[in-house]
Amino acid sequence: MTKKIAHVDDDADIRDAVARILRKKGYEVTQYLTMRDFIASLETDAEHPDLAILDVMVESMDAGLTAYAEIHARHPRIQTIFLTSLGDMIRPYFDKTSNEWVCVMEKPVEPDSLLGVIEDRLNYTAAQ
Amino acid sequence: MAIAKFSWNQNQQKAILSRNNENACKLNDEILISNIRWFIIFRWGVIGALILIHIFALITPDTLIQFRIIEENNWPLTITLILSLANLGYRYALDYCKPGKFNSPTINLWTQIVVDLICLSVVVHFIGSTATPAPFFYILHIALACIFFSTLESLLVAVIVSIMYTIVLLAEYTLSIQIPQSILIDPALMSDSKIKNHLLFWMTALNILFFTVWYVVSRLSLVVRAHENRLTEAYQQINQAQQEKDQYAVLMTHQLKSPLDAIRSKINLIKGGYCGEVTPEIDEIVRKIDQRAANMASLILDLLRLQRLKETCSCMAEIKPVKISRALQKCLEKLTPVINTKSIILNVSIDDFIYKGIRDQIEILLENIISNAVTYSHHNGIVEITSRVDANTRTATITITDHGIGIDPEDLPNIFNEYFYSPRAALHNNATSGLGLSIVKIAAQNNKLNINVASEPGKGTAFTILFPAVQLPAIIEEEYGRGSAPIGRPLAE
Repeated sequence: MTKKIAHVDDDADIRDAVARILRKKGYEVTQYLTMRDFIASLETDAEHPDLAILDVMVESMDAGLTAYAEIHARHPRIQTIFLTSLGDMIRPYFDKTSNEWVCVMEKPVEPDSLLGVIEDRLNYTAAQ
Repeated sequence: MAIAKFSWNQNQQKAILSRNNENACKLNDEILISNIRWFIIFRWGVIGALILIHIFALITPDTLIQFRIIEENNWPLTITLILSLANLGYRYALDYCKPGKFNSPTINLWTQIVVDLICLSVVVHFIGSTATPAPFFYILHIALACIFFSTLESLLVAVIVSIMYTIVLLAEYTLSIQIPQSILIDPALMSDSKIKNHLLFWMTALNILFFTVWYVVSRLSLVVRAHENRLTEAYQQINQAQQEKDQYAVLMTHQLKSPLDAIRSKINLIKGGYCGEVTPEIDEIVRKIDQRAANMASLILDLLRLQRLKETCSCMAEIKPVKISRALQKCLEKLTPVINTKSIILNVSIDDFIYKGIRDQIEILLENIISNAVTYSHHNGIVEITSRVDANTRTATITITDHGIGIDPEDLPNIFNEYFYSPRAALHNNATSGLGLSIVKIAAQNNKLNINVASEPGKGTAFTILFPAVQLPAIIEEEYGRGSAPIGRPLAE
């Protein structure tokens, strides 16, 4: 069954790069400019994605983290991967919000690494 | 059509701040409660003194009668009982009763002061309102009121004191007051007017004293409180400014790095074959573009790291015990790709120890020094990492030695300067940002570490980090059970 992946990023070039990588691998990709659009789609669409790739700093400094809390509370089955420009500098912002293990990847998008992590997260859901 | 109005009038903000200052001249409830407790304890001391007087009276009553401290009325016992009961009452109201309209710290303090003044007035009445220093104890209550209450409230206390003292004086010299002002014909009346003058003198003198003390202490109190408030405000403003500065730095880093990440993501698409075949020439150019973009990205992140390190003062950061073997392991794991790329051989020999410091900063310090050792080594070079603990002085050193390009003697004093890199280093590593060792310097400063550097051009460099106060392995094993690295065994290769 084709896995569905949602991707939220306000940068058009990043969206294009991720879309090309994922579609070539056979994933179905839906992209959003803002967290609000993505969360709204979760309310209206019947089918939910299997995995979401979220930019940490879209709209505001911690929009990604706030959205994650909301998504995780209402739709715990959706796996999440964070993409950030800041690398481990983002750590202070994450430490305060969650004790759970959260997957954070540093930009730029590297095809092999990204695909590897996505596969890992999707297999984790399947195992659960 | 939506309309938004913007105003950046700084004067309005200043007006709000100064209004807050005026209200802040009263002490807040928390401070009042701690003052109440102190006042209660102080009163127990006074009660103790009164009990001593009573015991003294039982042993040598004549001495005390001679000094007019006690007469027929056994006032020490009465006053002691009243004060003790009152003290217990204040304590009960403070700790066991629910706060409400009639039970607040301010009411508690007022009650204490009024009851004290009544008791003091009774004591003054029995001892003597002019012949003894007892009236001066009123001044203590005026001073305390100036410290606890606002200026107006302390003035009210001063007025109450003045009234009570006047009542005591009048009670003592009732006869002289009852005689209306008239021509003194009868010589027998002369002594009464003398007493009246005496009374007037003391009333005037002490009232002037009471209000002078009120004025001086209340002014002082206002000044001290204003200073305290200004300090608290300044501290809050500094904290806020620090947070805003960090947020700004993070935002700037993000804004600078995002376009680079977009560029490099697209380059990765080309390199990954997502855009079809590329000629070798294009591939080479694309790799060079990627390398320069990667260097810029790492410079931007280093800038943020440096900014963050400079902001941290050791009082605010979390100081925790850091196990050196674990920190080194983390660094080596992170640097494995670079180590493997240059096929560097690592010789590691660790005496494990624990140092109390800021974990992240110690890790970045070690990482940067080891990274430099690897970067400035030749291919297949050797890098040695050794740590030694001196059990007698409870100090330790970590030495990182490479056999690479070395540092020229004239460059050695400048290696920790920001953006400094020697021409020799730049030749060997064109990706250098010049910030790596400045980050090491700030991390060393924040963790109270010293660093010695020895180098010879063409032979290599040794960085020695000196740890002033460490915990030893035996203590580590007791506290942490298992997990410390055995002495001398290599940690990683």
